[in-house]
Amino acid sequence: MSSKKRDFRDESEMPLSAVAADDMRWNKTGSWRNIKPFYDPKTSPCIASCPAGENIQGYIELAREQRYEEAARLIWQNNPFPAICGRVCYHPCMDGCARGSLDRSVFIPAIERYLGDYAIEHGLREKRPEKTLDDKVAVIGGGPAGLSCAFFLAKKGFRVTVFEAKPLMGGVLRYGIPEYRLPKTVLDAELKRIEDLGVEFRPDSIVGKDVTLEELGQYSAYFVGIGLQTSRRLGIENENSKGVMAGLEFLEKINTGEPVEVGKCVVVVGGGNTAMDVARSSLRQGAHVTVVYRRTRDEMPAIEDEVHEANEEGVHFRFLSTPVGVIAKNGRITEIRCQEMELGEPDESGRRRPVPKEGAYFNMPADSLLVAIGEKPESKMFEAVCSISSGLIVTDEYGRTSNRKIFAGGDVVSGASTVVNAVARGRGAAEVIAAELSGKQFDPKKTKKVVAIADLNTAYFLQKDRAQMPRSDGARGRRPFAEVNMGLTCEQVQEEMSRCFSCGVCDGCDNCYVFCPDVAISRHDGTYTIDYDYCKGCLICVQECPRGILSTESEGK
Amino acid sequence: MQKVLEGNHAISWGAKASDVKVIAAYPITPQTQIVELLSEMCTSGELDAKFIKVESEHSAMAAVIGSAAAGVRSFTATSSHGLLLMHEMLHWAVGARLPIVLANVNRAVGPPWNIWTDQNDSLSQRDTGLLQIYCESNQEVFDTTLQAFKVAETVSLPAMLVLDAFFLSHTSEIVDVFGAETGKKYLPPFKPVDFLDPDNPKAFGNLTGPDYYYELRHKIHKDHLRAIDVARRADAEFGKIFGRSYGLVEEYRTEGAETILVTSGTITSTARVVIDERRERGEKLGLLKIRLFRPFPLEDVRRVLTRARKVLVIDRNIGFSIGGIFAQEIRSALWNTRVHVPLFSFIAGIGGRDVTPGVLNEILDIASAVEYPEQETYWIGVKDEELSYTGR
Repeated sequence: MSSKKRDFRDESEMPLSAVAADDMRWNKTGSWRNIKPFYDPKTSPCIASCPAGENIQGYIELAREQRYEEAARLIWQNNPFPAICGRVCYHPCMDGCARGSLDRSVFIPAIERYLGDYAIEHGLREKRPEKTLDDKVAVIGGGPAGLSCAFFLAKKGFRVTVFEAKPLMGGVLRYGIPEYRLPKTVLDAELKRIEDLGVEFRPDSIVGKDVTLEELGQYSAYFVGIGLQTSRRLGIENENSKGVMAGLEFLEKINTGEPVEVGKCVVVVGGGNTAMDVARSSLRQGAHVTVVYRRTRDEMPAIEDEVHEANEEGVHFRFLSTPVGVIAKNGRITEIRCQEMELGEPDESGRRRPVPKEGAYFNMPADSLLVAIGEKPESKMFEAVCSISSGLIVTDEYGRTSNRKIFAGGDVVSGASTVVNAVARGRGAAEVIAAELSGKQFDPKKTKKVVAIADLNTAYFLQKDRAQMPRSDGARGRRPFAEVNMGLTCEQVQEEMSRCFSCGVCDGCDNCYVFCPDVAISRHDGTYTIDYDYCKGCLICVQECPRGILSTESEGK
Repeated sequence: MQKVLEGNHAISWGAKASDVKVIAAYPITPQTQIVELLSEMCTSGELDAKFIKVESEHSAMAAVIGSAAAGVRSFTATSSHGLLLMHEMLHWAVGARLPIVLANVNRAVGPPWNIWTDQNDSLSQRDTGLLQIYCESNQEVFDTTLQAFKVAETVSLPAMLVLDAFFLSHTSEIVDVFGAETGKKYLPPFKPVDFLDPDNPKAFGNLTGPDYYYELRHKIHKDHLRAIDVARRADAEFGKIFGRSYGLVEEYRTEGAETILVTSGTITSTARVVIDERRERGEKLGLLKIRLFRPFPLEDVRRVLTRARKVLVIDRNIGFSIGGIFAQEIRSALWNTRVHVPLFSFIAGIGGRDVTPGVLNEILDIASAVEYPEQETYWIGVKDEELSYTGR
């Protein structure tokens, strides 16, 4: 009964209700707008929280479509070690993950590990660069920083040689992290990928002995990523007794299969990852293990998962205590004298400072005391060529030292940090070295805006449990050094990836298109456009976008 | 097919027999069972309809406005505060001329919170333009659901069927029901006058100035008046097919009655018993049940009540200061007539208080004792000595 008429002389000619004689396109309601929505894809918070800047959302999206190879290769663009980092990283990505605001964050490292293992199982190799450049670059230190730097330089066509003091490459990945966390087969496979790129590995090469600074100076540039090598000492009475050992030394023995006797009763001092590795490795020698830490569990610098797993495996903790002396008999440790502590005012790290409790001492029996209270660098050999402060090489944020030809990164620059930090610094330095050697100004990539969790609309996501990582028998099993975390199955990984929101990345859900009350949004080939002739700026599209794609700008008069 | 159904489920069955295509609703006591059963029917597939969950009654009505505008038969149900929250959208459904059917379970309005029956929720919608039909039994509830669609779709206006909380909503009775196939004999598929059609885009509800708005409102008024006869025919046709009809109003034992009691809803059933008893004793009493409240069946009411010498109206509702709302309607219906009939207005049963035969006898006693009402409004059973009209 609608009528095309605009003028009615009699009520009977009129429709029942007001109906437009035509469409309403003449009514350009866009002129009412004072705020404008626009499509603005953003960086997912997981990516922003990854020190290596891995495109987590991107590889999850590929892997969801079972494009595992492409997914693995996408990780390599930022990190050559997905199988390693998927196992040992402290995964700040999970702290950033927006899903934590709905139920629990996505189990990102388990996905990364799956893709890393997929690449290994399928023998995927990084493509060699199309042309080789004349410039030769040296890398000092075959740990995560140096190897990452070598990998990214080699991808750009540089001829790279890595000098490593130890007989095998890997640094802390090989000599620090025990087999039950990172199997050597996995490490070797990821190292081989770098070697396959044409990187030359020179193990057993100590700077100043096997290779001189002069020789290094003949390279177009060199990168120093030697990490921290020397364990700090407690500085207490009888520390030189038999049975007292540095944490790193102990781990190196464990990791190279050298026999090591710790006895029945082991005390580990320290609260970091080395302390956890030492404690859990001692446990695997059949010992009763107690970790003595001067603060409480909340202040422990170790990765939360490591503390949790150590506790689960039966490591005991004695918090708010610190050793003050070793009691020895015939030059061999029998007991440790400890003092109780309490927490005082926060120190510069923000953690509450431990303060000794006067007169509160106790003794603990011990066959071994393993000291894991931190490590320090051995950087003396570079003193002559670049500036060093408190043993750490001084660089700018991109790894440039005071010497134009020398770059550095990882723990030798930052002090005790993480594998992923080393990987990130190694890659960052590679970018700078490549730019400078080709005579270009280094131009750091600009990153997109990061999605704020408040910009998401989590009402569109159902709660779903996180995948459970299957575990081996652990420390008390028949093969105590077998890998503890056994990895997710393909089905589990797919389930887990279905929990990813894809923050900041449009997946074509149509919400904006469906909800626009002015029909001002159109859709072509999976992309959307807003017709500003009609958009009134109600921002319902912004509100209803589950992923925070749309941003707004005011159009003040 | 006979089933033992509570009033709420009688409506669900009625909606199913009406072959509704979209249901949008939000739960509220004492209505919830209506949409609970409908959602189950949608899930099992026995009812081929889209059930839209919403976050409020305002949205429920907005959603069925959308679906009705898209040209499909649409249904919702609510009660009390839910209906009040719908209020704005009720005006919209009327102005947009959308034949939505809404079931409202009469429930008192808070504060204080009260889930029991009274009519203030539905009567507060008096001037929205919504058609309103008040039911007395679960069978009538089932039958009225289909009749409501028939009338609504004929005059392009939304309709509300109303039933008492608990006395009907949660009380089981034997109800003769049928499915959509049988329903089609009475209620053919909905043919919209105009509808949202992507192939033929139009805008609805556009800005309309004083030059035409007035006429559009006048057309609603005319269709309301037309709906009286439409409803009468719809009821008669239903009776012809299924053997049950109710009238727009129902006269009960009004032959020779000098006093006629006017009721609506379940009070009517109790009143039938009291009238029977007092008729036995020789009193000239009759009963008029108002079933159709909007449009108001003015002629029917006048025809019956101008024969009486006294009219007694019982209201389970209150228009504060002026009295019962049905009483006001009837008083005004009787004004432009040549006879003057005294009208006694009684308030009873608000907030779910029982209206027992005792209460009705008290009302009849008060009215028989005097020629003319001594008060404009009698509140029966108030806990106040001075208001005890019969001294009991």
